[in-house]
Amino acid sequence: MSTDNPGMLKRFWISINKPSAKYSVLALGAVFFVFGILFWGGFHTGLEMTNTLEFCTTCHEMRDNVYQEYKQTIHYSNRSGVRAVCSDCHVPREWGPKMIRKAKASLEVWGKLTGSIDTKEKFEAKRMQLAEHEWARMKASNSQECRNCHNWDAMSAELQKQTPYKKHMKAKEEGKTCIDCHKGIAHQLPKEYVDPDE
Amino acid sequence: MRYLSTSKLAAVIGGAVIVMASTSALAMDAEAAKGLARQNNCLKCHGVDKDKDGPAYNKVAAKYKGKADAEDKLIRHITSGEKAKFPDGHEEEHKIVKTTPPNDKDQIKNLVQWILAQ
Repeated sequence: MSTDNPGMLKRFWISINKPSAKYSVLALGAVFFVFGILFWGGFHTGLEMTNTLEFCTTCHEMRDNVYQEYKQTIHYSNRSGVRAVCSDCHVPREWGPKMIRKAKASLEVWGKLTGSIDTKEKFEAKRMQLAEHEWARMKASNSQECRNCHNWDAMSAELQKQTPYKKHMKAKEEGKTCIDCHKGIAHQLPKEYVDPDE
Repeated sequence: MRYLSTSKLAAVIGGAVIVMASTSALAMDAEAAKGLARQNNCLKCHGVDKDKDGPAYNKVAAKYKGKADAEDKLIRHITSGEKAKFPDGHEEEHKIVKTTPPNDKDQIKNLVQWILAQ
């Protein structure tokens, strides 16, 4: 192989490995600093766009099924006007767990391409499996996404009804987590689901 | 136009009532009722045959057995937010059962019929 006429990639590699004789370290550092900010800003903005309700409902699988159910629930419409959108419950806020969730979600694109839940019937057939995955994820994180807004200590004995308050305090003592009792609060429960309290 | 005799008329009306009653009983969808009960967390406070914070459904059914207004009373109880008495004596508004689509009277009626059938 001749080294007299290297390919484009090789020439690029050689050029970036040469020490700069023209620019100071400070100038190079400043350029990389600015590019770093632009890259990170762009990456972060793009990532946050995938966290919006509008993005999630661009797929008919979400728009025609779970979105319609969620619209009937208190997390969509309520007295105080606070709304929890899809990502508030389904995507962790912390950077590391968020990246892991997003990487896993990119695998779900395969499901989209293969049409694994592209009809109402297929969605219903897989609802239990999908729900179980999400319940397991929430259980493993101690319902972190619920607790971003809800807190045992912020529950008022005066303002919360007596029965739920007692149940909440008992659950706290028993080390339970939100999803242990609050399944199906924003979507229909799968028809195969049986409440362990029955 | 021929008139029916009183006895024939009574037989026709009686037959119609029986048919309607049996149709109504047959129409009750237990799985749908249980699904709605689970969705609304009814079973956190009521067992089918076990008292919890609320009475067991078989006790509710026994209490209202043979009462003509049972269905209406229970529908009002689970849709109006009226006060429910708890074992410790305190009263609290009963949860209002929600359906999808909202305010589906048939789903509520089906749930009440299922409770009364326990």
